[in-house]
Amino acid sequence: MEANTGTSPDAPALARNTADRVRGFLNSYGLILVLLVLPVVYGIQDLKNDGNLAHLAQNLFAGLSNGTIIALIAIGYTLVYGIIELINFAHGDVFMIGSFTASQFWSGALGIGLATSTFGIAGGILASLIVAMLVCGVLNVLIEKVAYKPLRNAPKLAPLITAVGMSFILQNVGLLWIGGSPASVDDLIHAQQEVTTILGVHVQRADLLAFAVTIPLVIAMITFITTTRLGKAMRATAQDPEAARLMGINVDTTISATFFIGGLMAGAAGLVYALYETTIWYFQGFQGGLLAFTAAVMGGIGNLRGAVIGGLIIGCIQQISDNRIDPAWTPAVVFLYLILIMVFRPQGLFGEETREAG
Amino acid sequence: MRIRLIAVTGCAALVLGVAACGSDNKSSDTGTSGGSSAGGAVDIYSSLPLQGASKDQTAAMVQGIRLALEQAGGKAGSFTVKYQSLDDSTASAGNWDPGQSAQNARKVTQDSKAVYYIGEFNSGASAITIPILNQAAVPQVSPANTYVGLTVAEPGGFTKGEPEKYYPTQKRTYLRIVPRDTIQAAALLTQMKQDGCKKVALANDKEVYGLGLAKLIEFQAPKVGVALTKDVGIDKTASNFRSVAAQFKSEGADCFLFGGVTANGSVQLYKDVGAALPTAKLYGPDGVCESGFTNPAKKGIPAALGKRFKCSVATLDLKAYPGGKQFLDAFKKKYGNASPDPYAIYGYEAMKLGLDTIKGLGDKGNDKAAVLDALFATKDRASVLGTYSFDKNGDTTLTDYGIYKVGPDGNPAFVSAIKSG
Repeated sequence: MEANTGTSPDAPALARNTADRVRGFLNSYGLILVLLVLPVVYGIQDLKNDGNLAHLAQNLFAGLSNGTIIALIAIGYTLVYGIIELINFAHGDVFMIGSFTASQFWSGALGIGLATSTFGIAGGILASLIVAMLVCGVLNVLIEKVAYKPLRNAPKLAPLITAVGMSFILQNVGLLWIGGSPASVDDLIHAQQEVTTILGVHVQRADLLAFAVTIPLVIAMITFITTTRLGKAMRATAQDPEAARLMGINVDTTISATFFIGGLMAGAAGLVYALYETTIWYFQGFQGGLLAFTAAVMGGIGNLRGAVIGGLIIGCIQQISDNRIDPAWTPAVVFLYLILIMVFRPQGLFGEETREAG
Repeated sequence: MRIRLIAVTGCAALVLGVAACGSDNKSSDTGTSGGSSAGGAVDIYSSLPLQGASKDQTAAMVQGIRLALEQAGGKAGSFTVKYQSLDDSTASAGNWDPGQSAQNARKVTQDSKAVYYIGEFNSGASAITIPILNQAAVPQVSPANTYVGLTVAEPGGFTKGEPEKYYPTQKRTYLRIVPRDTIQAAALLTQMKQDGCKKVALANDKEVYGLGLAKLIEFQAPKVGVALTKDVGIDKTASNFRSVAAQFKSEGADCFLFGGVTANGSVQLYKDVGAALPTAKLYGPDGVCESGFTNPAKKGIPAALGKRFKCSVATLDLKAYPGGKQFLDAFKKKYGNASPDPYAIYGYEAMKLGLDTIKGLGDKGNDKAAVLDALFATKDRASVLGTYSFDKNGDTTLTDYGIYKVGPDGNPAFVSAIKSG
């Protein structure tokens, strides 16, 4: 009995300590472990089979390239959520309208096709990019004015429902525009033509386009939000709309500007998608929007950097799953990752507590 | 305030525009031929996807059906025939839709005068409508289904419970006038072997027809001596299939075959595989052997890819059929089109078979049970497709498949007939 009393307090304490240590380790490094599991497993497999990591590097590069489109759309979700805490379900469909506008503009209005000169194609793509961005920006502002602004003081469910409604309306517009089947568009840039090979990684024209459009846009937007007056107003409104209003910020204009910028990004993503995939579909907005929303949540909704990183991570998970596991399992793998990330870090990778949460 | 007014007006205009466009989108059309007669009236229906990628073929089928009815004076024996064309697709799916297919079948089961049902175009749709029509004992003839498990449990071509699960009454009510996929798979493998394919990359769209055909290809390939990659079931909503294509490339494929239909991501899939395997020969079954897939002007695959593509359909050169020339002359006279989609002749024959069967029954032509028995009893029928019979499972004895290339106009063009094996 005496001997027992001497050792028993130590055993539970030791178990508690071990459990605390494991919990602490998982809290600190669990997320990193989750993110690294697929690359590490397949990296080891590649080293064993091929003696190098070229295959894995190709997967990751293709994932980053695909992820740029998701990232551009995710920015729109995260900006809007950050400022009015609304999940703008119509945003994916605005991206779809961007694809349709861009492809119809270059083929219909500009008459650009496979026979057009390189200079003509480059100019046409630039013009189409501007048109698609402006159309989507204006469309997003109109959506905000009609479907969200009148409900600013309504229960949270009301704008959510109007967002779903706008999504269906835009889907129907797309459906009547080009029909229900995926439609091929001219491969103006010869998207899958290889440009170079770096350390066993094949770089295609589509990859260059995706990075060439996305990187400058993301840098420009981050610069805009962090340095300009309107950008600061956006951040202030996101933190506390009432305080921002008291400080003389026109909150309504700021919100409209946020929707406009989100729309610009969706328009750019639409153009990149049309040139990258060379097939457009009225349903692409639902699919792309779902992935982008997931990316925004994964990165920490409301956080710009998080949305971009989230998009790139989802692109990589998709590519690895498609190439190594089975394309049929890809949606399940992506959402399993989302769940695991949420379990280890409920606020997302770079997220902070929102006004609503705390 | 002004911006809001403009926005509201803009959105209202958008909604009205959508409504205006939508009002043109009819899901079915009704046509009655002939007047009333002493024999009474019978109702015949067709259920086909009239929207989406297959609409050119199904429109041609409906024209063929109407032509056969017109040639018969709108009558089958002493009965006046009322024909109704139903649409089993939806605009949003751009393809056949399970709910719409079931709704069409239920509509027909509620019509006491219905004696004959032409459909479906897609095997997956028939898997839904056969049990519904079976319980009402409505005779059903498909002018296009090829999935094996609908009628017979042949090795490699069926899943557990097929085909019995489609016939709750245990009495067969379904027949088809096209050869089943056992024959199509063998024809495609024979063609690929002839073309020198060493290793064929195989993918499917995971639907009844596409998955079934891919399984048959896997089952038959070793006998023909064609090696295959691992069969990949694609996510039809994926934005691209480059990783799948890269996988095929790493497995050393020199040919590609997709078991599936146009609407299920096939254009993107062929583009991605075509880019990853720039010298590979590309093949497809009847699910993609249509202008909506092959014609760049109809948003199908690019012309450069079309040059590498061959596909199989159960139709041959229309002029090569015993009654083909007369059919083409009559078709041109009625519709002004001298070269209809090859499926037109299957629509024509499906209707003619029904009309002749009803006529042959005399006064019993309005008895669907009698019509069903007579259909199964069809032997050595001299038709525009050639002479054929039905076996006890409802399968035709016809066996020819046609191989098609992409013609100068972008549409599939007949190359040769191929016998399997």
